[in-house]
Amino acid sequence: MRLYDQQQQLNGRVTVVEYFVLTAFAVLVFGFWHHQVIREGYFAELADRNRFREIKLLAPRGRIYDREGRLLVDNRPSYNIVLIRENSPRTSEETASRLAVGIALPEKEILDRINRHRKEPRYQPIVVKEDVSLADIAFVKSHRYELSEISVEFQPRRRYLGSGTAAHLLGYIGEVTEPQLTTPEFLESKVGDIVGQFGLERQYNSILRGKDGFKRVVVNNYGREVDRLYEAPPLAGNDLFLTIDTDLQKAAEETLGDRAGAVVALDPQTGEILAMVSRPTFDPNLFATRISTAQWSDLINDPKKPLQNRVIQSRYSPGSVFKVVMAAAALESDVVNPLHTLFCNGGAVFYGRTFACWKKGGHGAVGIHDALVDSCNVFFYTVGRDLGIDRIAHWATSIGLGRKTGVDLPNEDPGLIPSPEWKQRVFKTNWYAGETISVSIGQGAVSTTPLQLTWAVGGIASGGRLRTPHLVKPETIQRMGLKPPEIQEEQYPIHQSTVDIIARALWGVVNESGTGTRARVPGFDVAGKTGTAQVVGKQTIAVGEQFQDHAWFIGFAPYRTPQIAVGAFVENGGHGGGTSAPVAKAILEMYYFKKTGRFHPPETIGISRMN
Amino acid sequence: MIDTLKSRRFLHDFDWLLLAAALLLSAVSVLEIYSATQSQGDNYHLRQAAWVAIGMLLLFISASLDYRTVSEHIPLLYIATVLVLAYTLIFGNTVSGAKSWVSIGPVGFQPSEFAKLVVIVALARYLSELHGRYVTVGQMLKATLIVGIPMSLVVAQPDLGTALTYVPVLGLGLFIRGIRPAVLIAGALIVVLLLPASWLLLRDYQKDRILTFVNPDRDPLGRGYQVRQSRIAVGSGGVMGKGLFNGTQSQLGFLPTRHTDFILSVVGEELGFAGIVVTIGLLMVIIVRSIYHAQTARDALGLFIVMGVVSVFVFHSLVNVGMVIGFVPTTGIPLPFLSYGGSSMLTAFAGIGLIIGVRRRRNVN
Repeated sequence: MRLYDQQQQLNGRVTVVEYFVLTAFAVLVFGFWHHQVIREGYFAELADRNRFREIKLLAPRGRIYDREGRLLVDNRPSYNIVLIRENSPRTSEETASRLAVGIALPEKEILDRINRHRKEPRYQPIVVKEDVSLADIAFVKSHRYELSEISVEFQPRRRYLGSGTAAHLLGYIGEVTEPQLTTPEFLESKVGDIVGQFGLERQYNSILRGKDGFKRVVVNNYGREVDRLYEAPPLAGNDLFLTIDTDLQKAAEETLGDRAGAVVALDPQTGEILAMVSRPTFDPNLFATRISTAQWSDLINDPKKPLQNRVIQSRYSPGSVFKVVMAAAALESDVVNPLHTLFCNGGAVFYGRTFACWKKGGHGAVGIHDALVDSCNVFFYTVGRDLGIDRIAHWATSIGLGRKTGVDLPNEDPGLIPSPEWKQRVFKTNWYAGETISVSIGQGAVSTTPLQLTWAVGGIASGGRLRTPHLVKPETIQRMGLKPPEIQEEQYPIHQSTVDIIARALWGVVNESGTGTRARVPGFDVAGKTGTAQVVGKQTIAVGEQFQDHAWFIGFAPYRTPQIAVGAFVENGGHGGGTSAPVAKAILEMYYFKKTGRFHPPETIGISRMN
Repeated sequence: MIDTLKSRRFLHDFDWLLLAAALLLSAVSVLEIYSATQSQGDNYHLRQAAWVAIGMLLLFISASLDYRTVSEHIPLLYIATVLVLAYTLIFGNTVSGAKSWVSIGPVGFQPSEFAKLVVIVALARYLSELHGRYVTVGQMLKATLIVGIPMSLVVAQPDLGTALTYVPVLGLGLFIRGIRPAVLIAGALIVVLLLPASWLLLRDYQKDRILTFVNPDRDPLGRGYQVRQSRIAVGSGGVMGKGLFNGTQSQLGFLPTRHTDFILSVVGEELGFAGIVVTIGLLMVIIVRSIYHAQTARDALGLFIVMGVVSVFVFHSLVNVGMVIGFVPTTGIPLPFLSYGGSSMLTAFAGIGLIIGVRRRRNVN
């Protein structure tokens, strides 16, 4: 009986255990029911996300050719090492430490790169190292199983031929920034896209950029493609055809050399820019692969500002070149007539202050022709006083100064033509009459970009005709059915007699005993005007190079109905005639030689094209 | 000691239902192991089938043993087991961080698996010989010692997962034998209070597992990866599953250790909720049927032996099944009759054999 009781007790407890076990399994079955019936859709999607992978197929950007069809920019094949965090069997930190030695990149840098993209979806590939070597590719391929989260991605990469030729106008590319994504300019771009960031690359980004394709594949847990479901091939970007003549461009680059400055050549009849040089320069190929932080900070912190396109982004006093504009204004306003002369004795008093001529002792009796040829200050002081600031401002603005030219490049500087309204607006003070006298010889507040000044002088020489300067042939874009840059044509009525007088005088500057004789090209009727822009006031005695005057030369040829206008500007170059005129000459000479068949242009530039 | 397998009695008293359930589960196991490993080509399914065959043999042998005779010889078996475990600890092979395997010729096995059965019988004998309504504290300590000596040798390997399975054997045995309610409550309280303290004794990877279990998003790609992929596999299987050999999670390799610890994920993915219900149902058949045998056993010794085996099955099943859907932290505990592995398979079949052996003798005298 006792034994039986004990058996009963044991069996009772066993029953308790049985109920407990059944309850526990009921809970687990409920758990499966919850997973497989209630949340099936959610988990099915996760399973699909595991096995389907969309791989971006990057589109090559359009190529860029010069006016003679010579390739300036193309693409080369390259490979990136990418990390896909989704399904990675390890943390990013572990991946970084395993990868560091294999691809010769510090662990910290790999992590930094990954962390920059931490917030993006996990299936989005993160570029760990770009433009990798064959050895790096071999490392990744041979560790496909150990490092399944790492793979190699193909990317067509930008190549700028001729190592840095025309860097400022071609520009560079880079990853689209977060603030840019919110602007209409980059409306169609997505995070991680490579877009044009400067120069033509940026201006014509929408034309150059292609359309990325993608393929949808089934992958296994090592990320290896086991089946391909769909493929949308990438569409290459459209090519650009420039107005640039690489021969002129190279001639300009070579003559300017390492000196800081700017050179621009354009066809005043069409507005086509033939050459555009800014120095110091940079190699846009640096940006084709991700530029290193050190290289980037070197470029942006360089006091000489190598990333600045001085042709359109820097403004300088035009100096005596402004006298060309003054002469046109004066003749058209009947302030002077061709026969009118005045006496220069080396200086004159205006509004109670003495303004000196550059030539001590003076030029004697000068008319408008001699005043331009000899660059007589006193003559133009007088003209300025008689014109008054309002008429000077009106004419200067009409002929293209103090406003953007509309060139097809981003970030153009408008320059500045001062006026009493301007001074009131900016400084809240009145215009001093004496300031008009300074402006008359291109000093004081007046400032222009090299492109503006070249465009304006070319415009005057072409009878007041101004066509928007441009770098891309609009018709080539029109042919693609895309919107070409707007080319406007302005015509300011300048009498032929005025044009003749000025052109004849500027011919004299180069071909008589003027200041620009070093721009002379035998057989080619070059005309031009030198200028010296003061960096510091005349009173200051300064000797350092950075206080040397800037040297200008703006020329055109032939002097009647010019086909080419050239602007040469050398920072701290001293006198325009000595420094800048020879630079302009090199371009004019190349132009003339090509025209007369004395120079045979090479068919390709830089390294020859691949494939 | 061994009845002839041919005798009519043997066949008459044999529990065919238990065997059928075990064999059905084994069939699912071989099929899904084939599915899970077909791309690897190591013939895991054939090896598993071989283990099933050997397991059957063990089952018939242990079913034919008289458990009372075994119980008589248990002190010797117990000492031998402890010695083997100690040998393993010193000369064993290291597998995934634990010195848990020994090799005899070409065959390697895990003594800690078979040791469970010896511990079960040893504890059953001790508990069945006690008198009185409740066990005393001294008796509890003795029982703890019987389980604790081999268990601590397993802990030292260190194979915490396998060692843990000894705990329910002790706990369930003591509970069934009778623990004074006050002691039961006090014991529960002590466990609750000691849990935080045990944190200090855990190794880093163990802490990691528990932290990840509490918060799976803590590290979804590191420690949480297995469970995450397992839950995706199970959930995406839906009601009817993706079909045998068609599971994307298992076929494309997203599911880790899919032929061993996570074999039930493969079942869930390919055979769906229906397959899960059938699989868990078969496990329940084994457990409920075994409990019935415990309650109809001839003596307390038989009851404790059956319940010891049941406690191992229940613990393995609950922990493994719970792990598959993230209800329980990941431990390397196999699912009886399903996970690939000789030691686990043979122990399970031998356990069923022990239970059938107890049943066969229920009506004697």
